[in-house]
Amino acid sequence: MIFLFIGLPLVVAALLPLIGKISKRVLPDLLANAVFLLLLVLAVTAGRQVISEGPVLKQLNWLGEPVGITVAVDGFSLFMLMAISLLTLCVSLYSIDYMERYGAKANYYALLLMMAAGMNGLVLVTDLFNVYLFLEVAAIASYALVAYGLEHDELEASFKYLMLSVIASAAILISIAVLFGMTGSLGFTAVAAGLRSLDAKFVVGFCAALFIMGFGLKAALIPFHAWLPDAHPSAPAPISAILSGLLIKVSGVYALTRILFNVFGLTPALSQVLMYLGAVSIVVAAFLALGQKDMKRLLAYSSISQVGYVVLGIGIGTPLGIAGGLFHLFNHALAKGLLFLNSGSVQHATGTRNLEEMGGLAKRMPVTAATSLIGSLSIVGVPPLSGFWSKLIIIMALVQAKEWPLALVAILASVLTLWYYLLMQRKAFFGKLDEKWKNVKEAPFWMTASTVILALLSIGVGLFFSAFIKSWIQPASDVLARGIHLALGSWGI
Amino acid sequence: MIWQILLLSGVVLFSILAILSKDLIKSAISLALASLFLGILFFQMNAPYAGVFEISVVAGLITVLFMLTIALTKAEGDVRESKLARLIFPLVFVAFILIDVLVMKGLLQKVPALPETSESGAFGDVLWKQRTFDLIGQLAIILAGVFSVLALFRKRNKDE
Amino acid sequence: MTPQTLLWPILLPALAAVICFLIPRNMKLLREGIALLASVAVLYLGFALFSVKNLEFRLPWMGNGINFELRLYHFSSFILLGLSGFLFLITLYSTVKMKNDPRVGEYYAYVFLSAALANGAVLADNFVPLVFFWEGLLLTLYGLITIGGKSSNRTAVKAFLISGFCDFCMILGIAILWSITGTLTISQISVQPEGLAVTAFIMMMIGAIGKAGAMPFHTWIPDAAIDAPVTFMAFLPAAFEKLLGIYLLARITLDLFKLEKGSSLSLVLMIIGAATIVFAVMMALIQKDFKRLLSYHAVSQVGYMILGIGTAIPIGIAGGIFHMINHAMYKCGLFLSAGSVEHRTGTTELKKLGGLSKDMPLTAFGFSVCALAISGVWPLNGFVSKEMIFHGALETGYPVFAIAAWVGAIFTFASFLKAGHSVFFGPRTKEVPPVKESPAPVFIPILILAFLCITFGVFNKLPLVNFIQPILEGHVEAGENIDFTAHALSLFNPVAGISILCLLIALCLHFTGWKRGDKKAYLASEPVHKFPVIKQIYDLAEARVFDLYEQGIVFLRCFSLVLFKGIDRPIDFFFEKIVTKTGSAFSGVLQKAHTGHYANYLAWCLGGLLAVAALINLLIK
Repeated sequence: MIFLFIGLPLVVAALLPLIGKISKRVLPDLLANAVFLLLLVLAVTAGRQVISEGPVLKQLNWLGEPVGITVAVDGFSLFMLMAISLLTLCVSLYSIDYMERYGAKANYYALLLMMAAGMNGLVLVTDLFNVYLFLEVAAIASYALVAYGLEHDELEASFKYLMLSVIASAAILISIAVLFGMTGSLGFTAVAAGLRSLDAKFVVGFCAALFIMGFGLKAALIPFHAWLPDAHPSAPAPISAILSGLLIKVSGVYALTRILFNVFGLTPALSQVLMYLGAVSIVVAAFLALGQKDMKRLLAYSSISQVGYVVLGIGIGTPLGIAGGLFHLFNHALAKGLLFLNSGSVQHATGTRNLEEMGGLAKRMPVTAATSLIGSLSIVGVPPLSGFWSKLIIIMALVQAKEWPLALVAILASVLTLWYYLLMQRKAFFGKLDEKWKNVKEAPFWMTASTVILALLSIGVGLFFSAFIKSWIQPASDVLARGIHLALGSWGI
Repeated sequence: MIWQILLLSGVVLFSILAILSKDLIKSAISLALASLFLGILFFQMNAPYAGVFEISVVAGLITVLFMLTIALTKAEGDVRESKLARLIFPLVFVAFILIDVLVMKGLLQKVPALPETSESGAFGDVLWKQRTFDLIGQLAIILAGVFSVLALFRKRNKDE
Repeated sequence: MTPQTLLWPILLPALAAVICFLIPRNMKLLREGIALLASVAVLYLGFALFSVKNLEFRLPWMGNGINFELRLYHFSSFILLGLSGFLFLITLYSTVKMKNDPRVGEYYAYVFLSAALANGAVLADNFVPLVFFWEGLLLTLYGLITIGGKSSNRTAVKAFLISGFCDFCMILGIAILWSITGTLTISQISVQPEGLAVTAFIMMMIGAIGKAGAMPFHTWIPDAAIDAPVTFMAFLPAAFEKLLGIYLLARITLDLFKLEKGSSLSLVLMIIGAATIVFAVMMALIQKDFKRLLSYHAVSQVGYMILGIGTAIPIGIAGGIFHMINHAMYKCGLFLSAGSVEHRTGTTELKKLGGLSKDMPLTAFGFSVCALAISGVWPLNGFVSKEMIFHGALETGYPVFAIAAWVGAIFTFASFLKAGHSVFFGPRTKEVPPVKESPAPVFIPILILAFLCITFGVFNKLPLVNFIQPILEGHVEAGENIDFTAHALSLFNPVAGISILCLLIALCLHFTGWKRGDKKAYLASEPVHKFPVIKQIYDLAEARVFDLYEQGIVFLRCFSLVLFKGIDRPIDFFFEKIVTKTGSAFSGVLQKAHTGHYANYLAWCLGGLLAVAALINLLIK
């Protein structure tokens, strides 16, 4: 069943260009959304059963013969699968209307499915080289999707993204090679066991630095962030949503934490580095966001800042901190996805992303304005929205760990976040309606529908946060908190 | 021995060609050839894992990446660079390499390794029995690359 | 009563909020009916819970001490009753005043949501739900201000940011307190304010007084007075936020930290209180707009409460808490009467108004009672609570605070003489045509509040013994059991004498100013305004030099610009300008800079890698 998460999108993606020859719109729309819906239902219902008795290792049987394909499912990967399926579903719903003007929908969905397959694969594998491979699957699909509009800016952004991503891949590959040279194997379990029997903390430190740079580039932590403010705004809105909401977290944060926690084991040194990186990202990116005039660029800088919170939370290494970080990862995925989709709706209606030109759009686009207020306030951390809880938990965890300066940074940066989001809201949606937007209409049905779903989820998760934490976050943070014992115990058969 | 030297000089030759060539397509092909030689060299020297790495990564990934890049740069029209801008990256890179070498020298002495395991086998064996998942991944990467090219060339096809 | 009953004051208004929001726009009567019904129900709940007094509800939430805990005891039940009473009055008033607002559904939703959150915050016995409810009020604050109209967005953002800052400070304070005590359950915490606990105290105090609107966190209130609906002013800044802020401040100083008389923290609080009193009342004195004048008083009066609680002397604390409830009554009444005037005349500018007492006798009566109460005229409630604060301030041994409070009393009375004289008495003006008295739902709340002001003043022992005394029980220093019947709160003691002298000074000030200003009442404050040094201070204040928010914005903008220019743009600058120019000078070829960008980005990444590697290796050693 778990193999469906990788196999199904791959197969459907391979078929889509052929189907596109028969039906240009309806079938690709239907098929892609059906796949994402199915995966979401699988993740939410069946996934729980699979891991009801702790992490499991699954090997594929092909015609009764076991094949060398093994995946592992535990609380963390299941949580990520759920997040991925949820956001990709909303994004692909949104794309039904939004991607009309770009054309070639079959190809678009094929790439989207590839990206989903890559991300799903990434969270399921148990082998360093597989991590690298699926990272590349998702990345290549994302390069093409960033440049999907084929305008000059988009191509340039995509090129920049590609070139920096290659550096990330190279760093990751070097690190994998060094680890392979030392331990003679690539599986998480074997590497973890090998590193334990060797006393090689400096080399491990070196590998960790390379991983931090490589995955940090993918996660756009400062100072590895340079590609993101160009790439994310340039992409079509649904793709921006998925890049900011998911890809940087799956290919950056997930991969990094999985390796650092479950393979290397989190040492105080690594924990410190992660926390500093997170804190620097939070503050610098928040200031950078403050000065932006371009709506999507502002959102992109804010993504860097919020990923900083996630890394800061996870970097603390205490169960509470990890839970806060993971919860924030999910909340930010919902809210930032929502905001990027809304920015797409605004662009769809007005044709501009420049905040200075907007104003008073709330009268013309009430649903978009209301949902983006919810999204903004969730990221800012205002109750009863979900972002409030995750930020509170991160701050509490920082205090629990006696990291006073970082707690102060996290709190003061919240005020900054509050500020630039309110500025954005005010400039875009409130105030006087400009004459030229008199005939602007609310976005089409599927676009508003998917934003409403995300907004409702933000509120719902905020109201029932304790149930959500118990059923999703706790199992995931347990996995990380167990550290290398997970890799050695549960997977090491 | 002669084979190995020939292969090695092939690697060097094509690498230099890849850097110097102004035509991006030629550059990409040179790089692919250089990597292919390198991969063969690995097998020659009894390093099947490295060989798998090299061939799969280069054959699958780098070529696709370069095709993409070429597609993108062409779409951008002609972009010329100043000589100074060209110099900056090499300078930074050389500086980085220098620091790297200094650090690595000390570090390499500290690299311990587990005793060798008897995990070696025929190339085919390694590829099919143990790294099936990699092949799926490779397949996916190539598929993604193909779709990317399809998607990015779509408008031009329409125009022509 | 089962413990689950405690959920009702939270769930019932929340439900009413949802219903009001969902009712279609044109079904006005239905919405108003439901709103009134809900507020009556909440009021009934308030009474019912007030009679119960002790109830606890605990629900495990997510472990780590984060539980959903509610606790009703004499203090919280008292505040709960106050909140539900104001909710009812405001709802009644709004049925007329907000009738034709296009966003009336949203308005009721925010009002009831505020009530739900405020009730939750008062009942919460765990810091996490407390912060949840407390911060949730930001949302309704923002929403209610934006209902005001065009320019209200700017004010809403300002209010949101200032309150947000205070709330985040409070979170930090709570977090520190948590790490000291190891528990999040409020009723289990009691620490000495020493060492780190001092920081925690100050942070939480910022949260509390920020909510109450003390200086320097007050600057959005006068702006909101102009931009936001007047019902909002009567609802949040005048009543709800004062009750909540001072409630929390009292909890902090009484329960969480054992604030001691004469300690430096007590001094800090008293200084903030005294400064707030004096500066805000000076600003109030020169205002030319009725609502803006009232809003500055809303700030100034907070100073008395903080001063009272800050004395850490039983009589002072009791006075502060008593002043809180008194202030909520008369300030709410004053805003409502300003709203009543605005409802009929369409303006609140003092210059344009005059002689309305004949046309609107009931409003004028309500206003007069509330204005005399706020000025501390015997025998109204303001007199009693202010006397208690004066006594408390004198007992601390720092008479300067008592003097500041008296100075505040002088200018309070002077400015209300000016306001009342301009609006209700004196000659009629041409700008305003003859008007009728406002409808019953408007003047009834005003009269109820005026009536309460009189009752609480004349029969002051009643609330003091029944409401205030139980709060202080167990907190008073051993042996010093407070007995209100013994305290000399009559007219005949030296403290009251000075207070009455102050009122007389204010009267003189007003009449001299009135005569000098061509017998125009709204110019009565001009002599003070034009006084040499004071005039410069006023000018600076009008230019918002003292507004930390505005100054902070200027500073942060600059800082953000510097960072943007310092981190992001050098890449652009270096390659767009320097490299492009020098490069084109050498080769004469036009270039695109993106490869240059790339190299620079790459250099960043490599540098970052080196830094991370160095850091890791450093930390490993």
